Amino acid sequence: MSGPDKWTRRLVLQRAMQLSAMGVATPLAINLAAMGEAAAFDNTDYKALVCVFLYGGNDYANTVVPYDPANYALYHQIRAGGPGEEQAGIALARAALAPTALTPLAPQTLTDNLQYALHPNLAGLRGLWDQGKLAVQLNVGPLIRPTTLQEYHHTNKVLYPLPPKLFSHNDQQSIWQSNSSEGSTIGWGGRLGDIALANDSNNPNSLLTCISATGNAVFVAGQDALQYQISSGSATVPGGAIRIGALDTPLRDAVNALITRDSAHVLENEYSSVTRRSIQMEGVVNSALGGVNVTTAFPNGNPLASQLKIVARLIAARGALNMRRQVFFVSLGGFDNHNLLMQDHPNLMTRVNAAMSAFYAATVELGIANQVTTFTASDFGRTLASNADGSDHGWGAHQFVMGGAVNGGRFYGTAPHVSIQTDDQVGQGRLLPSTAVDEFAATLARWFGCSTSELPGILPNVGNFSNTSLGFV
Amino acid sequence: MGFYLNTKGNLKEDANGRQPDENYAREVMQLFTIGLYELNADGTNRLDANSNPIETYGQSDITNLARVFTGYDWDYFANGGGFTDVAWHDYDVPSTHFATNQMWFDPNKHSTLEVNFLGTNIPANTPGRDALRIALDRLFNHPNTGPFFARQMIQRLVTSNPSPAYVGRVAAVFANNGSGVRGDLKAVWTAILMDDEARAAPSAANSMSGKLREPVVRWVQMWRTVGIRSANGRYEIYDTSPAHEALGQSPLRSPSVFNFFRPGYVPPNTEIATAGKLAPEFQILNETTTAGYINYIQYTARDHYSDVKPTYTQLLPVAHDGEAVLNWLNLRMTANQLSNDTLNVLRAVITAFAITAASTENQKLDMLATATFLVMISPEYLVQK
Repeated sequence: MSGPDKWTRRLVLQRAMQLSAMGVATPLAINLAAMGEAAAFDNTDYKALVCVFLYGGNDYANTVVPYDPANYALYHQIRAGGPGEEQAGIALARAALAPTALTPLAPQTLTDNLQYALHPNLAGLRGLWDQGKLAVQLNVGPLIRPTTLQEYHHTNKVLYPLPPKLFSHNDQQSIWQSNSSEGSTIGWGGRLGDIALANDSNNPNSLLTCISATGNAVFVAGQDALQYQISSGSATVPGGAIRIGALDTPLRDAVNALITRDSAHVLENEYSSVTRRSIQMEGVVNSALGGVNVTTAFPNGNPLASQLKIVARLIAARGALNMRRQVFFVSLGGFDNHNLLMQDHPNLMTRVNAAMSAFYAATVELGIANQVTTFTASDFGRTLASNADGSDHGWGAHQFVMGGAVNGGRFYGTAPHVSIQTDDQVGQGRLLPSTAVDEFAATLARWFGCSTSELPGILPNVGNFSNTSLGFV
Repeated sequence: MGFYLNTKGNLKEDANGRQPDENYAREVMQLFTIGLYELNADGTNRLDANSNPIETYGQSDITNLARVFTGYDWDYFANGGGFTDVAWHDYDVPSTHFATNQMWFDPNKHSTLEVNFLGTNIPANTPGRDALRIALDRLFNHPNTGPFFARQMIQRLVTSNPSPAYVGRVAAVFANNGSGVRGDLKAVWTAILMDDEARAAPSAANSMSGKLREPVVRWVQMWRTVGIRSANGRYEIYDTSPAHEALGQSPLRSPSVFNFFRPGYVPPNTEIATAGKLAPEFQILNETTTAGYINYIQYTARDHYSDVKPTYTQLLPVAHDGEAVLNWLNLRMTANQLSNDTLNVLRAVITAFAITAASTENQKLDMLATATFLVMISPEYLVQK
C-alpha cells in the first residue's frame, strides 16, 4: 500500500540520489538539509494546476476560428460552407465572429497572416485574452519526437516513432494525460503531485494533493500521489458522506467492520482501501469547506462549472488544509461531434466559457489568481474537412491556458495552414502537432516549481524536444 | 447503433471535399470486432521482429471502410410505421417503428468508390448491400475477432484476468462450435461458463481471482433475488448515474461508446497495478462512488424513491429464523462465500432485531433489508469469485 511512510522514504531517497548525481558526496543527513535547494521547489507559497479535459476530441477549427477574409474563405470552403460568409456546412458565419476576434496585445505575425476569432460563445474567454489572462497554444498534441509529414509516412517506425493508437479516443486521452495508452497508471499531473509530496511530506492531508472532481483519470495518479475523488454533486456533502453515523449501534459497528476490513483477496482489499479513504477524508474536507465562502456565481446546470466550483472552494480552504501544491482534474464530455456539430458544439462552448470565466473570477475573488493556472486538453483535434454535419478524429489541436500568471493575449506555437493539403496536416486537416504535449506540460511543470532535471521523470520523452519553456506562463 | 455511431444519415463524399463519417468504421473495428493490435489465438498480442505489437489497421483502412457505411437512414414506414398529426407540435410525429426497423438504404447517398481495407478490396460500384456484407464478413472472419470477443466476454462474466489458455479455449469454440460453425455465441457462452477456470472454487493461492461486480449488476441482483413490485406497473426507476447519491452507473447511459469502464483499465497505486493485472470495474470505483453506493443500497434495500419496492416474498415466512435468512442470502448472493467473520457480524445484527413469528411485517422487513444491505456492502460479496 502507498501509505505516507512509503512515499516519504522513497522520495527522500530519490532526492538524495539526485544530489549525489550532482556530485554532492556528503552524508545523507546533510543532504537532507540541503534538499530544498536541490529541488528548487519553493513550497512556501501555494500553487494549483487545473486540467480542464474536454472528452471526445474538441473541434479545434470551430473553437479558434480563422477570421481574416482570406483564411476565413479557405475555412468556409473546406468546412462545406461553399462560397460566402454565412453559416453553412460546419462553418460558422464570419459576422458572428467579430465580437470574439482576437487581437494580440503585442503585434504577432502568424502563418499566412492568420487572424483568429474564438467561437462566438467564448466571449468571456475573449475578455480574459484582452486582459492578458488567457493564452492560446496552437496545434499541440502527442508526439514522441518532432515529426514531419515525411517522417509520419515513413515505414521505419523505429527511427520515426509515433504515439501509439493515434485517433483512438481512450488511448489518446490516456496519452495526453500520461504519455501512455490505456492501462497507464501514472499521469504527469500525478508526477507533479509526487514532487509536491516529497517537499511537503509532513502534511497529514497529503491525500488532497491530486484531486479529480470528475471520474477517475490517470492524469492525477502519481507513483506515490493518490488520486482523491471529490464529488461536485452536492454543495454540502462533497465527498458523499457515508451516512453510517446516523445508524444505531450495533448496526453502525457492523457496517464499519464490513466495509473497512482488510482482506487477503487483493480486489477486496483494494475496494476497502478506497472506502477507508472516503471515510477518512470526508470529515476533513467538509470541515475545511465549512469555513469557506466563495461568492462568485457559478452557473447552474453546467457540470464543468459545478466541478470548478468545488475546486475553487477547495483552493479557498487551502489554509485550513495546509496545502501548498495541488493538481486538479475536471472535465466536460460530449465533444465527439461526428454529427450535429453546429447544434451541439456551440452549447459545449457556452459551458466551457461560463465555467472557466467563473472559475477565473473566483480565483480573483480569493486573491489567488496568480497562483492558479488552468489549461484545456482533449483526446485529439478533429478534421478540418466536413463529413456533412460533423468532423472526425484528428490529432493536434489548439488549447487554452488561463490564469493570473499567464502571459496571455498572445498565441504560442505555430499556426497551421487552413488547408487539407499542406504538410502540417496528415489528411482532411488532421493537424500534425507542431508543439508536443511534453513541451506544453513541461512549461506548466516549470511554473509549478519543477527543475529542469526533474522534467524527464515527469515526461519521459521531453529530452527529444528543444523547448521546455514555451513562455505562456 | 446506427444512431449512436452516426451511420444513420451518413452521406457519401462530394466534390466540395465532404467526407463520409468515420465514426462507425473506426469503432466497429476498435471496440466491437478486432481491436487495435493483432492477436494470437489466445488473445495475447502478436509481436513484430522488434517485439512490438502490430497495429491492426491504419487511418486509410478507416477512411475506406467509412464509404461502406454511407447511404443509411431511419426507415419510418416499414412494418406499418408512419407519421401522425398531433396537436402539440407543428410537425407530424413518427411512430416508434423507425427505432426497430432496419435502416433504409438510399443508393444515391452511398459512396460508389472502391474500398480497400484490411487487405480486402471492394470494387467501385459494388451495390451497397453487397459491400456491407463483404465488409462485415471480413471483420467477422478476421483472426482477431474470436479471441478479442472471448477475452472481453470472459472479463465481463467471470474474471478480469483470464489466462491466455482460457481465452484460447473459448476463442477456439468461437472459431468452430464443433459442427464447423463459426461465431455460435450460445456455444461461446457455454464454453466461458463451463470452463474449469470459471468453475474452480476460489483458492487462497489466487488472491486476484474473479472480478469486481459492477454497480448496476449488483443492484439488479439484489432486487431480483429478494423480489420487487411496481405499484403502477411501470417500474419507474429513473437515472441511477449520480455518483454521490446513486450507483454512478445507469443502464443505457454510458458516457460514451467506450462504456463505463475499459477492459484494459489498471487502477493506479494498487497491488493490482503492481502485479500488472487489470480490474476494469475499478474505473468507476472511487471515494465518491463507494460512499454513494453504500447509501443507495441502504435506501433501496428497504424502500425506493418511486413506486418500486423490494418485497422479500420468500424471506418473510422465515424471517423469525435468523439462521435460515443468513443461509438464504449467503447462498443466493455470494454462492456461500461469506467468511465466518462476516457471518458473525451479520448474525449479531439479525439477532439484535429479535424477530419472532409474531413480529409485524414492517419489523420483519426492516431486519431483512438490513441483512441484505450488509451482504451487499461486504467486499466478500462485491468481488465475484
